[in-house]
Amino acid sequence: MALSLPSGLVPTEVAFLCEMEMITIVPRQRLESIPMLSGKTPALRPPRRADLPLWLALLLKKQRRANIVPPPWLLPASLQEIVHLETNYDPEAFSPPPPPPMRSDGRGVARPYATTTRSGNEDKELILAPPFLPSCTQDAPSGYLPYHWLEIAETLLAHAADDIPNAPEVRALLRDLQEVRAAKMRASTRHLEGGGGVLNIRGVGAMELAESRGFVLGVVDGVRKLGASAEAGRREELERGDDEDESDDDMGL
Amino acid sequence: MSYYDIDAILTDAEKVPCKFELDIPELGYLDNNPAQPLKSGTTVGLPLWLAELLALANRAPSSADEEAKSFVSLNLPPSLSNEVMSALKADPRAVPLRDQSHNFYGLGTRMLDLFEEKEICAILRRTFVTRAADIALHAGKAGATDDMGIGGGEEFLRGLEEWERKLFKKAHDGAKGSKEWMEGVKKHRR
Repeated sequence: MALSLPSGLVPTEVAFLCEMEMITIVPRQRLESIPMLSGKTPALRPPRRADLPLWLALLLKKQRRANIVPPPWLLPASLQEIVHLETNYDPEAFSPPPPPPMRSDGRGVARPYATTTRSGNEDKELILAPPFLPSCTQDAPSGYLPYHWLEIAETLLAHAADDIPNAPEVRALLRDLQEVRAAKMRASTRHLEGGGGVLNIRGVGAMELAESRGFVLGVVDGVRKLGASAEAGRREELERGDDEDESDDDMGL
Repeated sequence: MSYYDIDAILTDAEKVPCKFELDIPELGYLDNNPAQPLKSGTTVGLPLWLAELLALANRAPSSADEEAKSFVSLNLPPSLSNEVMSALKADPRAVPLRDQSHNFYGLGTRMLDLFEEKEICAILRRTFVTRAADIALHAGKAGATDDMGIGGGEEFLRGLEEWERKLFKKAHDGAKGSKEWMEGVKKHRR
């Protein structure tokens, strides 16, 4: 315990990791493909959209060599829908994460969930697993918050606000969403009271996890310690019960 | 729990009421009566580590027909008494736990190991979880602005015991980290 590093990722680390997410841009200048450790970037031809990692997209944006296309879930209509879902539909659960890109059709064949509408991209390979799902490109489904929603949204609002339609409204909606979900996170620990020890955090984003990891783990640990003696007693009883059952079986035989 | 855990050591030093089951010479000073031996039946507050040993260890029976008995019989400390429990049952937030004991939950778990008290266990768990939600709320607000929520929260925060203080610190660190990043992302970048 000499090294008091927090368990898990801290917010700055999460923000760094989120820069690997792919995002769609509209280039303004030609740029040849760059070979990188993560693979080649697509060659940029001005009117044609391309997917780049967020860090590169931000760099090009800063140099005024590209415009960023905000992901569909970051548009005001989509955010309004999510806020509505969070507040009215289920006041306890978080809004669901984006659906997987493939689903089974019941006959053992996997079909793409939503067919891509973009033309000229048929040769692109379909990515099935996180963390490289195209959850923030223009193909992302609207109405669902991806894992890195808060970091992507904040970064885009800070550095590419002019590319986001109706940025002030988006900013206000994001604040609402953040507040609602933070309140849910705090309230969710109440479910631990019964001693189930299980917390449903489906749909919670990376930044939210980094923020409340210490607190939630602390509560879980505290409840576990408080219930340790009762748990030991219960187990003993269970074992005794098993023994009795066995002896009953023996009698029956 | 580590060997050097200061809170575990302090919990060990919490006094619990013990009733002596036999006369002990030369120990009268424990009961402010140095001239007399300590009478059996006297109740003295002993630190938890000592009380636990004395209550669990059996002494040899003095005669054949006598049963083996322990030196002292333990009682629940006043911080886990019925009054406190019913107050916590009524409203967990209204009780300043720190006034009861600095290591309230630590003491509680130790006592629950010794006594089988299902009700106290359930009440402690409910108290902890209910107060945890409040702690998170205050932790998110603290330090944000001077006028927001601090005035009303101070009373509550003063009543936090050690487990809850740690929880508060964890929750506060998390909120602080993400707030710092949010402010930083707007300023310095490339």
